[in-house]
Amino acid sequence: MSNPFVPKILVLATEKCAYPGADAVGKAHQEYPSNVYILRVMSPVLFPEDFFLRSYSRGIDGILIAACGSDCPYHGAYDRLAARIDQLTSRMNAGGLEIERIRLTAICTVCIKAFLKEVAMMSDNLHRLGPVDRQLAEQLRRASVERLQASARSRELVPALQGGLR
Amino acid sequence: MSYQNDHQGQHEDEPVELECGEPGRDEEAYVRKQIELARRQADASPSAAIAAQQHQEDSPSLRIGVYICRCGGNISDVVDVERVAETVRLIPGVATAKVHTFVCSDPGQHTISDDILYENLDRVVVASCTPFLHEQTFRGAVARGGMNPYLYEHVNIREQVSWAHRHDPAGATSKAIRMISAAIGKLRHVAPLDQIKLPNHRRALVIGGGIAGLKAASDLAGRGIKVLLVEIADKLGGHLNQWGRVYPSERAAEELVADLVNAVGRNPNIEVLLSSKVKTVSGFIGNFKVAVESQSGANGATQKLNAVVGAIIMATGFRPYIPQDGEFLYRTEPTVLTLPEFVQLMRSISHDAKRLVYKEKNVRNIAFLHCVGSRQLDGVHEPSTDGRLNSYCSRTCCTTILQQALAVRTRFPQIGVFDFNQDIRTYGRGEEDYYAQASRAGVVFFRYNGEEPPRVEITPAGRAKDGALSITVKDALTWGQELTVGVDMLVLGTGMIPGQIQDLIEQMKLAIGEDGFLQEVHPKLRPVEVAVNGVLLAGTAQGPMNIQETLAAAGAAAVKAASMFATESVELNPYVAAVDLTRCTGEAQCVTQCDYEGALQIVQMEVDGEWVERAQVNAGLCAGCGACVAVCPHRAIDLNGWRIDQFDAMVDGIAADIPGRECGSELVSIH
Ligand SMILES: Cc1cc2nc3c(=O)[nH]c(=O)nc-3n(C[C@H](O)[C@H](O)[C@H](O)COP(=O)(O)OP(=O)(O)OC[C@H]3O[C@@H](n4cnc5c(N)ncnc54)[C@H](O)[C@@H]3O)c2cc1C
Ligand code: SF4
Ligand code: SF4
Repeated sequence: MSNPFVPKILVLATEKCAYPGADAVGKAHQEYPSNVYILRVMSPVLFPEDFFLRSYSRGIDGILIAACGSDCPYHGAYDRLAARIDQLTSRMNAGGLEIERIRLTAICTVCIKAFLKEVAMMSDNLHRLGPVDRQLAEQLRRASVERLQASARSRELVPALQGGLR
Repeated sequence: MSYQNDHQGQHEDEPVELECGEPGRDEEAYVRKQIELARRQADASPSAAIAAQQHQEDSPSLRIGVYICRCGGNISDVVDVERVAETVRLIPGVATAKVHTFVCSDPGQHTISDDILYENLDRVVVASCTPFLHEQTFRGAVARGGMNPYLYEHVNIREQVSWAHRHDPAGATSKAIRMISAAIGKLRHVAPLDQIKLPNHRRALVIGGGIAGLKAASDLAGRGIKVLLVEIADKLGGHLNQWGRVYPSERAAEELVADLVNAVGRNPNIEVLLSSKVKTVSGFIGNFKVAVESQSGANGATQKLNAVVGAIIMATGFRPYIPQDGEFLYRTEPTVLTLPEFVQLMRSISHDAKRLVYKEKNVRNIAFLHCVGSRQLDGVHEPSTDGRLNSYCSRTCCTTILQQALAVRTRFPQIGVFDFNQDIRTYGRGEEDYYAQASRAGVVFFRYNGEEPPRVEITPAGRAKDGALSITVKDALTWGQELTVGVDMLVLGTGMIPGQIQDLIEQMKLAIGEDGFLQEVHPKLRPVEVAVNGVLLAGTAQGPMNIQETLAAAGAAAVKAASMFATESVELNPYVAAVDLTRCTGEAQCVTQCDYEGALQIVQMEVDGEWVERAQVNAGLCAGCGACVAVCPHRAIDLNGWRIDQFDAMVDGIAADIPGRECGSELVSIH
């Protein structure tokens, strides 16, 4: 591979805020690198930790979670999201995966400058860091899945109730 | 089709295959290489492309149609659409990939529905503009072809590709290919979804009986829809009850209100509740349950009323900005008035009066100061007690000030009028005339810089001289000269602030904008709708508007509400959480994460002949945020239409080097 490193950046953009915000960038004829891939999401609170780690293990070098911030249309979702990303970040840190590869930010429907700034920042960081360590990401993903499974209550199943008992 | 979730794979100890998604940029060569590779593999059958094989196992019958739009040249001037079609055609499962100049045109849409019928397509991708423009259009085209509309996936290659990467055609082309291949990946994991159908109660609740609420109510009732109109005051009409003649028509506000109130009163479909308050709201589109508390009974006793309505129109209006104590000497000096106070003063003075007398004193000079409480700047203005800074423009004060200034000069030519503005925003039809006329009538204009508002002081001669005020301004119209004007009345051009409806906002989970007013889904594309289905905005509850705009918005909200009642049942996008009963063990981790009451519960149900506890989603109450999904240790709950395995597949499409090939997923899919 003689080609220079071009990181793959995944942007998870909320349908109410950041996705239209990214549209606004194009509409305003502003440009950003084409290695930025945007997926529309309702709320990134959906994603389990292992989704992010899996993405790294597949070769995504950086993930920008472009959310609604305090404009989040869902009750309590943004706070939960922030807490979950906090936890993911500290797990990545502990596991040796550079935390600059993940970033949670709020982008509004007209936040053109903020979008460009975030993308540029992520891009700079990734060029400095180089390609993601996919093996390591995969190890962390497995650990995360195991942890999630372990959170299942020890008892196998809720005791089945008798048919007539109701 | 297999819905195997790859978190559930069994290959615990297999090595990770990491050959896909290698870094590299030479996309042109990459694409050519891929085409070449795929051709050779196809020739060398039976050992055809691994990807094809793998795909065959997954879903033997997939026939995907991909439609790539040129959008005139908006897309094709940057993206090599032919190459995109050529490449995605190689992706296993793609039955056809076509380029069209305008996919959204009638012929474009026909191509899709015809292909579904004649080419037996069972999945469709359109790569075109943003989904906000035409996702619904293409779902419709797909449905007309007889396919489930949720087997459709939209790819945005205009706003987020051709327009965003104008100077990088090769990169844009490669990104388009990857994004389409991501969509195809998602389509391998989708299942048909049915829209959620719920009974639709053909009755609307209008909250607020100002002109917005009156207009919305009478428009709706005119279409045969029952309306419950709840007004907190003991009178209909809202703020217009306080104004005199209103611009630009110069009609008496009371006439306008009377017209609307009569229209409402005449219509048997409308029930009006005065002195009433909406206490609680729950439920969802077609099925909102509301409780109203009313003091309008004969002896003022409190009455309670419950109702079920299908739609709610928020017409709660605005509050006028009240200056803080001492702000431009307001409440310190009796001769400092707000604009609404002045409008009412003018209205109270008899038509043949020759002098303007206020607090028993003859007024000889009046100053109007624009933008008080609006267009506030950080560091210049004091935030109000709730910490808010009103950075927006209230939009109605400029014209109201000019209207009043002109009225003063016309009725009392002896009074000198001075106008202090940052700029004049008479934006509406007929409003600029007020500026022209006021100038001609001798109103003197000063222009200040927003960062340096004029200083208002009591003149040295002070109280003895009628409480006279001096206003000092750095006037941009005279190149920054500092000028001082003495007046004996100052009118503060106060604007609008949001209404006090915190309780409703919280109960109905409404979004508010940075300005504190209710926020629409999209200012241009969906201006009167909010993120909560079935709730609409009318008038100044949404932000500063003049009467014309208020009535236009109220009319639009009424039509939107009426169209919601066109069907017996309401149909919602099925983007709600769904429980996989083959995995759910009823442990309720998910339930703890859900903030929507009643949306997700543990219930007893019969599964395989046994009574067990399982999670159950109430599709009508689930907001579809997905907060529950991440925590389930069995991956038993997921969000319809936005499932984790679908996102995984999209990531693979983006990361993979071979378009459409799932990146070693069977090897890394360890659970
Ligand atoms: C000083 C001034 C002068 C103006 N002059 C003009 C003019 O000349 N021409 C022009 O075009 N525009 C003018 N405007 C703008 C005009 O006043 C507004 O466009 C108009 O009042 C908006 O109507 P609305 O129904 O949205 O709100 P409002 O008039 O504020 O009515 C809202 C109604 O909802 C009720 N309400 C509030 N909360 C609740 C609740 N929780 N439950 C039940 N009911 C509730 C209120 O009691 C009120 O009756 C002026 C504005 C100002 C400030
Ligand atoms: S579908 Fe969208 S991209 Fe295509 S022509 Fe219509 S507006 Fe343009
Ligand atoms: S998606 Fe959101 S609203 Fe629906 S059940 Fe899950 S947490 Fe509750």
